[in-house]
Amino acid sequence: MSDAVLDSAVHHQTFTAIGQSMPRVEDYRLLTGTAKYLDDIEVPHALHATFVRSPYAHARIFRIQTDQAMAVPGVVAVVTGQDLARWTQPARMAPPIEGLFPMEMTTLPIDKVRFDGDPVACVVAADRYTAEDAAELVMVEYEVLPAVTDMFAAAEEGTPLVDETLSSNLVSHQTYAKGNVAGRFAEADVIVEATFSQHRQTHVPMETRGCVAVWDDGRQHLTFYIGTQVPHPMRTTLAARMGLKETQVNVISPDIGGAFGQKIALYREELTVAALARELHRPIRWREDRMENLRAASHAREDFVKTRAAVTKDGRILALHADLFSDFGAYSFFPANYMIRVVAMLLPGPYKIQDYSYEVKVALTNKCPAGPMRAPMAIASWVTEGTIDAVARKLKLDPVEVRRINMLKQDDLPYLTATTELYEDITPRETLDRAVHSFDYHVRRKEQERLRVQGKYRGIGICSVIESTTYGSEFYRKAGISGTGHEAAWVRIEPTGVVNASAGIMGSGQGYETVMTQAVADGLGCNPHDVAIHLGNTLLAPYGMGSRGSRGAVAGVGTTFLAAQQARIKVLAIAAHLLKLRSSKDLQLTDGQVVLETDGQWRPTGLNLRDIAQTAYLNPLALPDGMEPGIEAHVAYDPPAMTYSNSTHICEVEVHLDTGVISVGPYLVVEDAGTMLNPQLVEGQLLGATALGIGGVLFEHVVYDENGQNLTASLMDYLLPTAVETPEIQMIHMGTPNHRTPAGIKGMSEGGVMGAIGAVCNAVSDALSPLGIVVEQQPLSPSYIKSLVKKASKTAR
Amino acid sequence: MKPAIFTYRRPATLHEALKLLEETGDEGKVIAGGQSLVPMMNMRLARPEYLVDINDLDDLRYIHPFEEGIDIGSLTRHDELERSAILRRLCPIVPTAAHFIGHYAIRQRGTIGGSMAHADPAAELPLLAVLLDATLTIASLDNTRSQTAREFFLSMYTTDLQPNEILTAVRFPVIPPDSGWSFKEFSRRAGDFALVSAACTMQLNSSGSVEQLHLALGGADLIPISVDASIASFIGERPDARWRQAVAKAALNDLEPMSDVHASTQDRLDWLALTVDQVLTQSSLRANVEIGEQASHTPEEEKL
Amino acid sequence: MNEVPVTLWVNGQTYAVRVSPRKLLSDVIREDIGLTGTHVGCEHGVCGACTVWVDDRPTRSCLMFAIQAEGHAVTTIEALAQHGQLNVLQQALHEEHGLQCGFCTPGIVMTMEAYLHEHPNPTVDDIRDALSGNLCRCTGYQNIVAGVQKAARVFAQNSSGATSAAGNESTHLSEGGREYV
Repeated sequence: MSDAVLDSAVHHQTFTAIGQSMPRVEDYRLLTGTAKYLDDIEVPHALHATFVRSPYAHARIFRIQTDQAMAVPGVVAVVTGQDLARWTQPARMAPPIEGLFPMEMTTLPIDKVRFDGDPVACVVAADRYTAEDAAELVMVEYEVLPAVTDMFAAAEEGTPLVDETLSSNLVSHQTYAKGNVAGRFAEADVIVEATFSQHRQTHVPMETRGCVAVWDDGRQHLTFYIGTQVPHPMRTTLAARMGLKETQVNVISPDIGGAFGQKIALYREELTVAALARELHRPIRWREDRMENLRAASHAREDFVKTRAAVTKDGRILALHADLFSDFGAYSFFPANYMIRVVAMLLPGPYKIQDYSYEVKVALTNKCPAGPMRAPMAIASWVTEGTIDAVARKLKLDPVEVRRINMLKQDDLPYLTATTELYEDITPRETLDRAVHSFDYHVRRKEQERLRVQGKYRGIGICSVIESTTYGSEFYRKAGISGTGHEAAWVRIEPTGVVNASAGIMGSGQGYETVMTQAVADGLGCNPHDVAIHLGNTLLAPYGMGSRGSRGAVAGVGTTFLAAQQARIKVLAIAAHLLKLRSSKDLQLTDGQVVLETDGQWRPTGLNLRDIAQTAYLNPLALPDGMEPGIEAHVAYDPPAMTYSNSTHICEVEVHLDTGVISVGPYLVVEDAGTMLNPQLVEGQLLGATALGIGGVLFEHVVYDENGQNLTASLMDYLLPTAVETPEIQMIHMGTPNHRTPAGIKGMSEGGVMGAIGAVCNAVSDALSPLGIVVEQQPLSPSYIKSLVKKASKTAR
Repeated sequence: MKPAIFTYRRPATLHEALKLLEETGDEGKVIAGGQSLVPMMNMRLARPEYLVDINDLDDLRYIHPFEEGIDIGSLTRHDELERSAILRRLCPIVPTAAHFIGHYAIRQRGTIGGSMAHADPAAELPLLAVLLDATLTIASLDNTRSQTAREFFLSMYTTDLQPNEILTAVRFPVIPPDSGWSFKEFSRRAGDFALVSAACTMQLNSSGSVEQLHLALGGADLIPISVDASIASFIGERPDARWRQAVAKAALNDLEPMSDVHASTQDRLDWLALTVDQVLTQSSLRANVEIGEQASHTPEEEKL
Repeated sequence: MNEVPVTLWVNGQTYAVRVSPRKLLSDVIREDIGLTGTHVGCEHGVCGACTVWVDDRPTRSCLMFAIQAEGHAVTTIEALAQHGQLNVLQQALHEEHGLQCGFCTPGIVMTMEAYLHEHPNPTVDDIRDALSGNLCRCTGYQNIVAGVQKAARVFAQNSSGATSAAGNESTHLSEGGREYV
């Protein structure tokens, strides 16, 4: 891609399709039940796999007896970790990061199990019912070991080791300092401390994990159907672990019923199924059931942060120190410091804090492994804004004032943070002011006072969010993690003038096909109805890094936009030649028609995209000298290291002291996600993210008992919010374009989670402030709130 | 999550069904709506050898009013209870509480008989049966017996129903129009099983004192319980705030509800106290409403 | 294994299959009949993704054995849109962006379509209450509620409460796709 294309993409500001709430092109198939999710792909003669899982959190495997299971009619194979070790390579997680132990895991455990739900054997049978019958008959002899279930205890000396190749459960430990933190603390009028404890949660996509592996023995080729966010990285990993060349594997991702970060890694079950398909020469499918999904897929968010802020008496924050601790579970599917490091990186938030230090520790425990879940840095905004509220409480200042005193203004931009992140084109002060104003903040404060007299405890919570999006290659280099952040796309104009396009991203509900259609229509200048988008097949799509970290918009759609612009250059060059013009500079393609500017007016030329395509494919001799037939553009683009969206969440809650129940609402989000590709879809993402955050704060909780038994492995016990508990959310958009990205896109869809956690927690603390209560841990269950109220009233007495 | 193998039987008549149960003995299990049984079968927590499907027994699907009560066939679906004009008129607490059973789709399938036989300690209909001391009709091949709800529930998920028996009908008494009543439950989310619940009927005399009082609690013990005996001494007094508090205290005396991942024993006691206060309040308000206006003026129940 | 012949009446057509009595209705609809629009999300009756109609009543197909459906009319999501046209509720959900990944959507359509038949003038609270038996992880429900409200308004305008495919008596309403409000 030429610099000219990027330059024109960044500064090209007239859109006809981008910015419209175009109804989604995906919807028809989803609404009529004709979409194809993994289980809807029919594979003749496919066998069904199911897994035998450990009932213990930590135990040695002595013996696995499979003969009874094998005797069940319809059972084809029962295999264990020993078998898989012969057929596959172990996974090694060893990025060169100081303070991070390398970890390795076999495809299935061989010597010991490390959490309740760890897979120990795989049964393959004619159907799932039979496979489950047989799985009950696999006899595993265990020696139960003491379980490590608390991350703080895990890190202490003498605690049993989760991974016996390591010298400690403290798998990762780093420190960082910028500026003169100690000096600033010495200067401070006050030092304010606050603690924040977030509970373990899980993604719960409505479609659980699953895969179908089809091995073609003649071609020595594996077709692997899997709902994955990252088809190409999945292919690379799968091929490597199976000892295959990448040419021998195709990954096909059908429609995905939600992912939220749970569908990035190559999981052990999936690799097992792929390996078995090759060994047995039979297609095999696996569908995780819901209890397995809750117990053994991937968990997230179990983080603890303690902050210390050095503050002047008028509320200015001089320096910040944070201690972070994270529970990583039993295995390493990602670098152990990967997610909590981003929290530390973001903690200064939208505030001018150049003197900042942190210490990050990550511990292994006998619990389900952790992975990124929509907003892996979810706790960050609560910590930042909760610290600000703590400062306000200590100094008896209005929390809005403390924010204004410390917040970045337009004059401060571009701004290099204490963690060397570059903030540009963000509007934290503007979203805050707009939120405070639109929410009638001061009126509500008075009302709050009035109601307190009547025994009603209302609180207002504010949370400003700096949302990291895009994650370009430079981010990975800085983080020391292998991987890149570039993306690739192709746009192909077919002989009839219709357009096929593809990119490496893979959607799981975001509406990529729609926004990519819009981007192609504007980048090229054609009618959106003539565009078709093809995602998720690694033989069809260009190698890209897939969908994670809110990179779909800038990296995925941005790259597609660039490819469409590239194609347009060729279309117009052909048009100029056919019109016998010396250059194409006065030509434009609009809605598929070639128009010519004369005397400041765009006039039809009589040529359209179909004419150009016909020429390019069917009459190449009519093309300009030396031009290749056909019209295909292939573009790779490495976006900025990071782009930032920002927002302010503000909400009111009422805490019912007697029941401990919290009602949330009204709830307002003022957001600046840059150029909105499709406002309706942006709102959809924001609503979903905010609801996920609220649900996480109030309801969702993975609970383990002291022996490491998962107590919440059904949807009756792991509580997702329903339509009744989810409040109505109002939204205001600002739309400040990013000046470095195609079309000014920023990306979004995780900030809603971050903002909701902070806003709701801060509001509850505000409501309970007359009782001297500050919520320091989630979830804010009625039981927890009641206990706080009881404790406070005892103290008062 | 697939059920274990079973043999399926689908009798066309009650007689046939009872005959099958005689044959299958302890290995047989009746399925009606299946809304509690099938999840347990899918998790393989229940694995009957024979499944006797009684959904074809249309004779067990009715709501019949008579002089002192309403007979409800055991195969009547929760949604039918909720929408029943007869029940709204004669025993309005039943449709009110039925709305809180699971969710819309669950109520289309789940049955009153199934709910009784499943005997979840927090379920709505067993609580009402205990409150109103409903009479259950239980049939076996050579016998039909009646039993009061207060004797029927034995422990968590355990009733007096024998493997060869089918619950065929539940008889609720009419709630007199001048009687106040109320049902409340406390749950984390809409449609969840209640963590605790309470139901009440109350009659006041012309001077506004309590003349009759019944109170039952769910989630307070292994089965729904009537606490009438503990609160009998409060009859004759005016139902003011102090009275309500005293009643709630007496009602909860000596109770030790279970503790689990969602709530501790103390949580349940706290919520029970509040729930009891609410049903007493609501019942006394309803009892005060002039006869005849009651149906149109009483608000729908809502959750805590 | 222990398979028995079962005759099912699904979307107005007869299907004769051989299945084990323990096979769930959801699995038989999907695997033996080939209608894959009914999704399986939890298999314990909580998520609502597998909701179909049995004799026009919304029913969790994961909580019924296929053999139990013999002699009853089963309706699945595939029956609602006709002649390639979304029905009123589907169209309203499309316009209000009431779906994202779409996995829960068929169950929601089957639940709320039935609900609107019975409750033509629901309040927002009614809608949220009826919807509470269907879990959605993507949308935060707000746009689903808006879609159902919009469909209810269209039904009200049709006064007959007709809920058939927009292609039939309500064709005029769906022309151009988005002029309901």
